[in-house]
Amino acid sequence: MIRIEHLHKRFGDVRAVDGVTFTAPDGAVTGLLGPNGAGKTTTLRMLYTLMRPDEGRILVDDVDAVTDPQGARLRLGVLPDQSGLYPRLTAREHIEYFGELQGITGADLRNRVDHLLKMLDMTSIADRRSAGYSHGERTKTALARAIVHNPKNVLLDEPTNGLDVMSTRAVREIIRRLKSEGHTVLFSSHVMQEVSALCDTIVVIARGKIVASGSPDDLRAQTGHQNLEDAFVALSGVDGVAS
Amino acid sequence: MNPSSLAQLLVVFRTELKNWGRDRRSLISVLVGSLFGPLIIAFMFNTMANRQRQVEDVKIPVVGAEHAPALVDWLRQQPGIEIIAGPDDPQEAVRTKREDVVVVIPKDFAEKFTASKPAQVRFVSDSSSQTARPRLQRIRGLFQRYNSEIASLRLIGRGLSPVVASPLQLEDVEVASAQQRAAQILSFIPLFIMMAAFTGAMSISTDSTAGERERGSLEALLINPAPRSAIAAGKWLAGTATSMLSVIITGALLYAIFDYIPLQDLGLRFRLGGPQLMAVLGAVLPLCPFIVAIQMYLATFAKSFKEAQSYLSLLMMVQMVPGFLATMYPLSSKAWMYFVPWVGQQVLLTDVLGGKAPSVLFFIAAAALNIVIAAVAVQGTTALLQREKIIFGR
Repeated sequence: MIRIEHLHKRFGDVRAVDGVTFTAPDGAVTGLLGPNGAGKTTTLRMLYTLMRPDEGRILVDDVDAVTDPQGARLRLGVLPDQSGLYPRLTAREHIEYFGELQGITGADLRNRVDHLLKMLDMTSIADRRSAGYSHGERTKTALARAIVHNPKNVLLDEPTNGLDVMSTRAVREIIRRLKSEGHTVLFSSHVMQEVSALCDTIVVIARGKIVASGSPDDLRAQTGHQNLEDAFVALSGVDGVAS
Repeated sequence: MNPSSLAQLLVVFRTELKNWGRDRRSLISVLVGSLFGPLIIAFMFNTMANRQRQVEDVKIPVVGAEHAPALVDWLRQQPGIEIIAGPDDPQEAVRTKREDVVVVIPKDFAEKFTASKPAQVRFVSDSSSQTARPRLQRIRGLFQRYNSEIASLRLIGRGLSPVVASPLQLEDVEVASAQQRAAQILSFIPLFIMMAAFTGAMSISTDSTAGERERGSLEALLINPAPRSAIAAGKWLAGTATSMLSVIITGALLYAIFDYIPLQDLGLRFRLGGPQLMAVLGAVLPLCPFIVAIQMYLATFAKSFKEAQSYLSLLMMVQMVPGFLATMYPLSSKAWMYFVPWVGQQVLLTDVLGGKAPSVLFFIAAAALNIVIAAVAVQGTTALLQREKIIFGR
């Protein structure tokens, strides 16, 4: 479970995140929806402890991520905004590297790596260097290394951004699977269809503030728009950004 | 540091080295960095030894050898001397550079010689020619020796001690000689070894810091529950390993080269044997962690990979300053110098290669100081990795 309370982050005069509060419960998928520049990535960066909030509280399970970032990171699996790979390492080596950093070794590590490679349908590229990977293969590798330690809470920053249909479906499949296994899944997106197809709860963020939250049906009811996309546009107050 | 942090450090270390070992470009840069110095030194010494040999093995074209058979026989017996028939027109031959020096023995030589009158011998040469001068000097020296030998014999024949005829004893102290040039080349060795330490680490220092961020893999790496200190230290140790590797390659090559080059032919007492090699490594290897730590701090601080590279190029110039100064103004080693990183290694190396054996204490002190500064710089890198501006770029 992830709980965020009154989160603030300012860059110079810009209030990037301005009092964000929401909860992402276990066994559910929560979507952080907002146009580009709304504060999604900044919120997630504070959540995965690479940024310090100016104000507010972040709880990952029962760990305060601000005072105990290390403890929070143990409970998190993150596909960050930037998830570059090492061009000279193979997919398997990427997953092993992060697994070992999580303290997993030996047969346990091997089993998990094999499991992930199979689950993400990556066995054919497992031992190829990542330099020539397609965008989808790169995302899958980054995702696999992020969840090698089977974290309770999974954060995904725009996981399907730029992916083709097949890869998008594979990522969705994993999100559903993680949910069914009882994980907390929080992902950000600026794509309405993405969020509506997967999420139990949608948190709409615009200009650093939460403008609405609830199930897809709640959002339709709140805005009076039958079409979720229209609802999103109405909520974020920005035209033409949701595609 | 608790055991799991140590394990994480080693994982980072291992992965960085693996990644480095697969990069052909960085392997080549290490190779070039460590081959460069030894090859230049080998080349310079080889050229010098060749030139020296050319001076020593002299073919002397003699015109009129038949007028002084005893003299010519005596010349033939000198080591490295071969007498050949001179050209018909000696002056023309020298002017057209066919010959450097031609010896001309006039017809009346035997007549004057037997009458104990000064018998003329002419050297035809062009003093503006670089190669002719040492040759002329050598030939003239031979004739002077013959001259004084005959003079001594004549004096003895007349019941006088030859010493009477030598009121002065002349001795040349050559300063611009082959020896000096060789010594100058040798003074570059410390510089080359320290450059190898620097270039050997450069690719990991930049690739694992600025490069890691530019690839976008830094964020993901830092989300792992490994402390930043373990990540920074793992990368630092990986860089240190490649830097040391490069130094060892350079040292071994120099050792092989000096085993091969006949330095004594050049009149040098210099030796790079096993003990010297050990002392060289003992002086320079502790420099590696220091250099890498500084490189890494700068490269982490840099806004981009390119910027990191230009910082490091500048740093390399700075580090070469003491080395260059030392080649031009031979340093008299003062005690404080041993405690300044870079300068200390330079002084230690100069001592070792100059045949002096500095106290082990100096080695230990210089090493300890380097490692302390390195630790501070790694701390600095760790602190940089906590900064949001560094992690996400500026």
